[in-house]
Amino acid sequence: MSLKLPRWSSLPAWSGVLLLEVLLFIFMAISQPEFVSAGNLSNIVRSAAIPIVLGIGMTYTILTAGIDLSVGSVLAFSGILLSGMIDHMPRYAAVVVTIALVTLIVGGINGTLIGRFGLNSFVVTLGSLGIFRGISYLVTNGTTQNIDAGPLIRALGDGNVGPVPGPLLVVIVLAAISIFVLRSTFFGRDVYAVGGNEFAAQLAGIYTGRVKMNVYVISAACAGLAGVMQVGRLDSAAPTAGAGLELAVVAGVLLGGTRLSGGVGSITGTVIGVLFLQTVSNSLTIQGVSSYWQQIVTGVLLGAAVLFDRIRLELSSRAPSRKDKE
Amino acid sequence: MALATMTARIEMRGISKQFDAVKALSNVDLTLYPGEVHTIAGENGSGKSTLLKILAGVIQPNEGLIRIDGTSHVLTSVRGAMGLGVTMVSQELSLVPNLGIAENVFLGHNQTRDFIGINWKDTEKRAAELLKRLNLTVNPKQLVSTIPQHQQQLVEIARALSFDTRVLLLDEPTSSLDPAEVKSLFNVIRQLRDDGVAVVLISHRMSEMLEISDRFTVLRDGKLIDTGVKGDVSEAWLIDRMVLNKPKKISDSTYSIENKRAVLEVKGLSDRLGAFNNISFNLHAGEIVGVAGLAGAGRTELVETIVGSRPRISGEVLIDGVVVKANSRSSINAGIALVPDDRRTKSTIHEMSVRENLLLAQHQLPFSFRSKSKEAKIVNAWCERFKIKAADIDTPIKSLSGGNQQKVVIARCLQTNPKVLVLDEATRGIDLGAKAEIYEILRGLAKEGLGILAVSSEISEIFEISDRVLVMHAGKLAADMGREEMTEANVVAAATGSNKKGDQ
Repeated sequence: MSLKLPRWSSLPAWSGVLLLEVLLFIFMAISQPEFVSAGNLSNIVRSAAIPIVLGIGMTYTILTAGIDLSVGSVLAFSGILLSGMIDHMPRYAAVVVTIALVTLIVGGINGTLIGRFGLNSFVVTLGSLGIFRGISYLVTNGTTQNIDAGPLIRALGDGNVGPVPGPLLVVIVLAAISIFVLRSTFFGRDVYAVGGNEFAAQLAGIYTGRVKMNVYVISAACAGLAGVMQVGRLDSAAPTAGAGLELAVVAGVLLGGTRLSGGVGSITGTVIGVLFLQTVSNSLTIQGVSSYWQQIVTGVLLGAAVLFDRIRLELSSRAPSRKDKE
Repeated sequence: MALATMTARIEMRGISKQFDAVKALSNVDLTLYPGEVHTIAGENGSGKSTLLKILAGVIQPNEGLIRIDGTSHVLTSVRGAMGLGVTMVSQELSLVPNLGIAENVFLGHNQTRDFIGINWKDTEKRAAELLKRLNLTVNPKQLVSTIPQHQQQLVEIARALSFDTRVLLLDEPTSSLDPAEVKSLFNVIRQLRDDGVAVVLISHRMSEMLEISDRFTVLRDGKLIDTGVKGDVSEAWLIDRMVLNKPKKISDSTYSIENKRAVLEVKGLSDRLGAFNNISFNLHAGEIVGVAGLAGAGRTELVETIVGSRPRISGEVLIDGVVVKANSRSSINAGIALVPDDRRTKSTIHEMSVRENLLLAQHQLPFSFRSKSKEAKIVNAWCERFKIKAADIDTPIKSLSGGNQQKVVIARCLQTNPKVLVLDEATRGIDLGAKAEIYEILRGLAKEGLGILAVSSEISEIFEISDRVLVMHAGKLAADMGREEMTEANVVAAATGSNKKGDQ
């Protein structure tokens, strides 16, 4: 290894979280050997997969300086939609139709209101958070629907494909596609541009409204997929599923270095950020710490990460001259 | 006044300030005495505003010393400067429009409190007293957004007075006022002066400066040129020092519109928010047309509307005789592109690389792939052609100097193969070397047949590059003059609305 370390301000934003993740792993492996058992590791992966899928969709919206608070509710809505269709058609068709419907309905509503009519994403998705949770309760009368998920759906949410956990495959494929889309397509460039400077993007001829619409459609599709995975994991669809999950997902995305003000961030960061939160929660459970503490720890970590990012930026910005031109 | 025997309230010595590559001030001195009105004169970019901002604690100098009442101070914040009695009313109003007048006057300080919270009755009473001192009779409960702009300015001054202000800095306070309002503002200023306040003014209007000021300091290119007192100073004295040794270079191009087609036609364009009204003009292939006018004349709004990024209420824009739909993408496709006036907020995407910024106006189907090697070839070619100094094309644009950033933005526009290039304050915040390069680029483009429309607040810049000048005043086209009519006097007269000739 070369002795010359890169300047820490030039490292990607997620490197701090990655370091913490590694340290946590080492610490846990030493103090609680069961932590690194195959069973527990696959447990971490399985429990992280769904929030990571939501986080990937969320990253698109936050990159455009928006947010999608509806993902937790939409996850439940998707599961219930699936439970209603599963007996009427082949399972693979039910999966495809569910995800397509969720994408169309939720993405259509959020995307049109935010992208076409320019409404505030926080308000719009807070509305759909309530609406789709409410619909899920209404059609099930508040009861959990037991489903025989079958091998395909189970593989997506919980099972193995060969030696590899199915959810891990889903995450890898989805992350790979998203990394490619954001890095190497015109749409990806437009996403960063809209979040970085909407006026400049618009002036350069980017259809900023369409870009915004598309990111909410993508986020809805991810939430639809996550809902199917959740059914595979639990063999049931509950109207309470994913309640409050949106905040954990946002926390993970921000931990991964995506900036709430838009224009800066990455899928890699999101995967690491969400995974880290899951590892923390798993570690605390193994250490026998009350789950109430986990929420407190998440909050503290989020604050620390954002503070850390600010310090990093202050250090890397050249001279104070930037502030001067106000 | 026997100034020499008085104690100075403010002594600024050897002030220097560097912005990136631009030296805004070098070794400037300024002395202010109690009870004087002091004008700082100079052209755009001479460093006047920077000097005032340093005194107000908005920005910090790189070198220099500030003494207030004989004690030297380091002013690190606006609040700190206010605590020492120095308050600035800047050109852009900084009131909160959705709060009441009294609330604004005492915002964040000095409200009368009682055991419940703010005692509004007393706060309003005190605000009314301050406003009365400024001859402003309005209800202090009224929202700031409901009173006209010149009254808002007085509210700002009232706010300044609500601190124990002994030095009041006014940056172009008259730019949006009509003559009657200017008169009443000057009465207020005289009254403050008689109360022992040192008032510092920046103004572009000669007659106003001469009328109100006791002393003058002239800056040019960030340097102190001269100081003078009332009586010794005349309009000629000021102009002599402001533009000394710098005869206005008039474009030496031999361009003639004969036999040239009108590449851009603007017909009866009116802004939805009323910033300009019924503007019509033509621009020919290969022609450079400058757009002059005072701040607030509607120039930026006009050019942003021409390229479709701002809503219009009526009128149309034609490129080569074809009507262009009012949105940015259609404009780009039709062959007209804008270099906006403010890089930070309107043109560069700060966190993105030079490559991304330069190719921002290139579009294909959303999910089509980008060829990084083809892109690199294009970007490198522009960097070479425009001598853009960047470590490599994937460095963030924010690490470039202002001039290089601007060249990237110009390249972005040109990469769309425009027929018309519109530039708004193309050389704002750019050092002299890069400025000259940009002029050279523009002339070259015009020779290739591009029509160029260039908004600028610097008359010297307009004269240097333009074949023709449009002058805007209060949202209207006040004059359209060819090279033979182009004199500073004509342009200034049209921009201030004092000439009635040349109306279309």
